[in-house]
Amino acid sequence: MQPALTVPTRKRIPWSFVLAGIAIFGAIFYLIYANTQANAVYYLTVSELRHCTICTVQSVRVAGVVQDGSIVRDDQRQLISFVMNDGKQSLPVAYTGVVPDIFRPGIQVVVEGHYSGQGPFQAQTLLAKCPSKFTTSTTH
Amino acid sequence: MYFSDLGTIALILALCFALYALIAAVLGAIRDSAPLIASAKRSALMVTFFLLVASAALIASFLTHDFGVNYVAQHSNLAMPWYYTTAAFYGGQEGSLLYWGLMLAVFAAIFVLTSRRVSAALVPYVIATLMGIEAFLLLMLMSVSNPFVRVHGAPPPDGNGLNPLLMDPGMLIHPPMLLMGYMSFAVPFAFAVAALIKGELGSEWLRTIRRWTLASWSIQTTGLILGAWWAYHVLGWGGYWGWDPVENAALLPWLTATAFLHSTMVQERRGMLKGWNLCLVIASFALSIFGTFEVRSGIINSVHSFAYSAVGPYFLAFLFIILVFSTALFLCRLPKLRPEHEFDSVLSREGIFLLNNLLLLGVTFATLWGTLFPLISAALGKQTMTVGPPFYNHVNGPLLVLLILAMGVGPLLAWRRTSTHALWRNLSVPAVAAALCAAVLPLLGVNDVAANIGFSICMFTAGAILYELWRGVRVRHAHGEPYLLALYMLFNRYRQRYGGYLVHLGLVLLAVGVIGSHFFQVQQDAVLKSGQEMSIADYRLVYLGNIDMQEPAKQSITAQLQIWRDGQLQQYIYPGRVFYHNFADQPVSQISITTYGMVDLYVFLANWDGAGQATIRVFVNPLVPLVWYGGLLMLLGGITCWWPQRRKTLMHRSIAQPQLAKEVAV
Repeated sequence: MQPALTVPTRKRIPWSFVLAGIAIFGAIFYLIYANTQANAVYYLTVSELRHCTICTVQSVRVAGVVQDGSIVRDDQRQLISFVMNDGKQSLPVAYTGVVPDIFRPGIQVVVEGHYSGQGPFQAQTLLAKCPSKFTTSTTH
Repeated sequence: MYFSDLGTIALILALCFALYALIAAVLGAIRDSAPLIASAKRSALMVTFFLLVASAALIASFLTHDFGVNYVAQHSNLAMPWYYTTAAFYGGQEGSLLYWGLMLAVFAAIFVLTSRRVSAALVPYVIATLMGIEAFLLLMLMSVSNPFVRVHGAPPPDGNGLNPLLMDPGMLIHPPMLLMGYMSFAVPFAFAVAALIKGELGSEWLRTIRRWTLASWSIQTTGLILGAWWAYHVLGWGGYWGWDPVENAALLPWLTATAFLHSTMVQERRGMLKGWNLCLVIASFALSIFGTFEVRSGIINSVHSFAYSAVGPYFLAFLFIILVFSTALFLCRLPKLRPEHEFDSVLSREGIFLLNNLLLLGVTFATLWGTLFPLISAALGKQTMTVGPPFYNHVNGPLLVLLILAMGVGPLLAWRRTSTHALWRNLSVPAVAAALCAAVLPLLGVNDVAANIGFSICMFTAGAILYELWRGVRVRHAHGEPYLLALYMLFNRYRQRYGGYLVHLGLVLLAVGVIGSHFFQVQQDAVLKSGQEMSIADYRLVYLGNIDMQEPAKQSITAQLQIWRDGQLQQYIYPGRVFYHNFADQPVSQISITTYGMVDLYVFLANWDGAGQATIRVFVNPLVPLVWYGGLLMLLGGITCWWPQRRKTLMHRSIAQPQLAKEVAV
């Protein structure tokens, strides 16, 4: 650019820009705020879950390790129940659906669902963590 | 002497040369000594040479099955074919860091060899920055993350082998592309640092940094698309993008780089947004380092495993240094970054570029917010909380649709201000196309309002781009060129502009694919016995039985099914599961994906019992092929933008530019 073109005096930013900017920013922050409110899920330990009062209505996530010999499958109805342990306490879990490939005793799982205080944790989703020495920074 | 000893020696020498190059470049720049700078350039090339030697040594260790090397023993075995053995080079943490170092060195070498085209004052500082980053990586490679460490005592007879999930053709190219993409953001960053130190942000600087960013952008696009493709074909959950922290880490620098590529045009044409652009370059590099830190430190709980490793804290420290250093530099130079013009009207090209930047940064911020939300919520004193894919879909979806709308309107606007009359004339054709699309879609069964809006906006933008192409071709045709030649000449003469259109068209296709598969995916599970069948959408699947196959290194179980459609047998499919003997507890799915027109029939074998029973999960994924075509088109567009202009056209441009400037001044 030629130096002659530079404008030394500093004008104010036009109102239209300010308004459009505020509108966009407002929309972005509203979207983030509203969806955080709507979609945030509690991530609890088993002992926290025992004292949970909202878990019957709100879905929560719990992480733990699948205990040896606790898996009971019913393939016909795609039912599976097992006990998971987070190092301190254990929790029985019931789940219906397709079980991940690597699901077996001793692996880390994350379950998401409801808990009424009695009976097993009703999991809607069952996620298994990959336990091997998979140390690349690849995306999965 | 083993190959690994050679590797260790090469690493040490590379570090020495990198440190020397760093010091020589800075001293040379301060004292204005050409011999010192030339020496820095030569030693940067030596760094590349020694990293090539180190990488070759690691590959040689793999190919000779030297299990005395810890890394080789953990990531390969005797049964693996040679190509996976070679690819195991970057299959683990240490090797992938070495690969990073190598890529950075290769980029540095390319920079040195083409540095004659760059403003001479900037060269030493670019070299110094690149060598500084290289020295950090080499230090990591020699201490906490050394791939050449040997086992104590006798080497094991065989290695552990590579994780079976990685034994996939996609794995041969996806990680190296993504890692290369991450690292390539270092070059624009080095340019930004050099320009800040010298206080020199000329148009030549801008052209160079943009070409490097375009290259990074294209590489990262390839890496992201390949990652999505791999997830779709290997993981078996029917989707290609799960908003996992690891995926987000790769997306974040891509978003800021995209924003940068757009706002540089404002700087090029109007001399505005200089400081902003520098921020975006710095942010891209910082985010790629942040991604590495996040992936390797284990601070965020992910469904995918985050290998905890010792390098996390070092990367955090490095990220901190980068941020402090570049912020300080930036604040020092802020007075020099005055804009040459002011904004006139929202309804102008620069206005729409600003909107584009705001939206892209909005997506970046939302994604970062979601990724870090477990940390944020824990830090705010409450429970740890997480947000899942619905959060990202609901926030980023509308923002991306707005972005696509802006993409359609933007190219039709003039710089500074646009007459509404001209704008309406250009917009009428795509607007009519979008209205028609919105009216016809419900008749075709698209009853979801959000999906209809999304499709119609995609139609609008595709219409606007194609109409623009058509008008360009028509003008040239009127001057006597045949249509095809006219189209070719347009792309040849105005690479930036028409390459950009290609990227935009690609993104529109990708968006149509995403909307289609997001809103209209159908999923069904079934437990079938031999001879039983299930129906989903227009398809009928007949299950015949299971096949058990024994091979030397693996066993595979596949279910045999027939696909029927409209009363006709289409074909046989074999979804299955493969067990590698040395990873027997971690089977890999073989997913059957059959494409009919624009619809994928995705069949996953979930479970089986003996030879005559199988549990299958079937997805009908409409429009997913468009995601891949769109990605391909985006890459093609990126390369078109990047492709060097021939000298003749460059001269033509430099003659044309002062005229243009005068026009603007008038």
